[in-house]
Amino acid sequence: MSQQAPPHAGSGPGRGGGLLEQIAENALDDDYYVFRGSQPRPSWRTGIVVGLVVTLFATLVTTAAVQTRNDRPATELERRTLAADIEARQKTLDERRAAAAALSAQVQALQQTGDAETGQPADLGVLASSTAVEGPGIVITTTNSQDDLEAGRITDRDLQVLVNGLWYAGAEAVAVNDNRVGTLTSIRTAGDAITVNYRSIGPPYSVIALGDPESLQTRLRQNPAGAYWEDRRKRSGVEFAVTPSLEVTLPAVPDQRLDLKHASTLEEDR
Amino acid sequence: MIPVIGLLAGLGLGLWLQPTVPVWLQPYLPIAIVAALDAVVGALRALGERRFNDRVFVISFVSNVIIASAMVFVGDQLGVGSQLSTGVIVVLGIRIFANAAAIRRRIFHA
Repeated sequence: MSQQAPPHAGSGPGRGGGLLEQIAENALDDDYYVFRGSQPRPSWRTGIVVGLVVTLFATLVTTAAVQTRNDRPATELERRTLAADIEARQKTLDERRAAAAALSAQVQALQQTGDAETGQPADLGVLASSTAVEGPGIVITTTNSQDDLEAGRITDRDLQVLVNGLWYAGAEAVAVNDNRVGTLTSIRTAGDAITVNYRSIGPPYSVIALGDPESLQTRLRQNPAGAYWEDRRKRSGVEFAVTPSLEVTLPAVPDQRLDLKHASTLEEDR
Repeated sequence: MIPVIGLLAGLGLGLWLQPTVPVWLQPYLPIAIVAALDAVVGALRALGERRFNDRVFVISFVSNVIIASAMVFVGDQLGVGSQLSTGVIVVLGIRIFANAAAIRRRIFHA
């Protein structure tokens, strides 16, 4: 066994056997086989050098072992600190999540009350006549009588009655000759002409009302305004025609007629 | 005799002084120790086969330690430090086992 042939590192991969086998075969440094210098002679120099190397080796091993041992508590401490950190952060996260949930619930509640109080801004715009609107409605075309008598001329009062009658019939928006009737709109005679929103208009007058065409027509015919106009048509010969339309468009009230100079919201309603 | 004294002296030094390994050296120490262990076991086997040579031992010890540490260093620079360490450990481990087996065969003839 002791005289076994020295294995050679260069025996090559062609000899078969895996890498691991080769490593195992060449376990002993080839140098011990190859080196054939002077036979080991017991001398002080040899012993001391080997002893120094062994000392170094032992020191290395001991140092590493001691270091690993000393590091362990630090590692353990670090781990525990990290775990505590994680727990604390998780707690904070949970708290924040709960706070976020509470706040979003609050926001939702506030939004609901806000919606209930103010309704949709778009609807408010329609009610305040500050936005142009479109939808089904009726178009009333009327003009002075052919005979050009005083009684056959349409007055501001006629148009006021008609507009009021349309509101009464359930119109959601009314315009006279493309002048939207808003909260500050007046219909009055100025000289020979009638003004709406301070703009002069002349015959023929086209009054547009937005709402369900069927019910608007029926209710206008039945209410006092309808009766008044029927009377006007019969007695004075003014022309009066109602046309239902699936799509009418009404402009917004001009900005000048929306400016509030004196009114402000009541404190408690804000 | 001298090696045994050296071993004890090294142990004593390590335990008594308890030197702190610098941080930059810490990754290389375990690998260096495994490489040194390989050289030591190889030396023991050579001793048993009456082939021991102090020069070979010293050179193989030093070069093993340096090469193993250098490989880990290069691996660290390339980002494959842990894989390379594993490779070095595997190869050295196999060599240690093979040498130990040879020693065992020699002592117990089995």
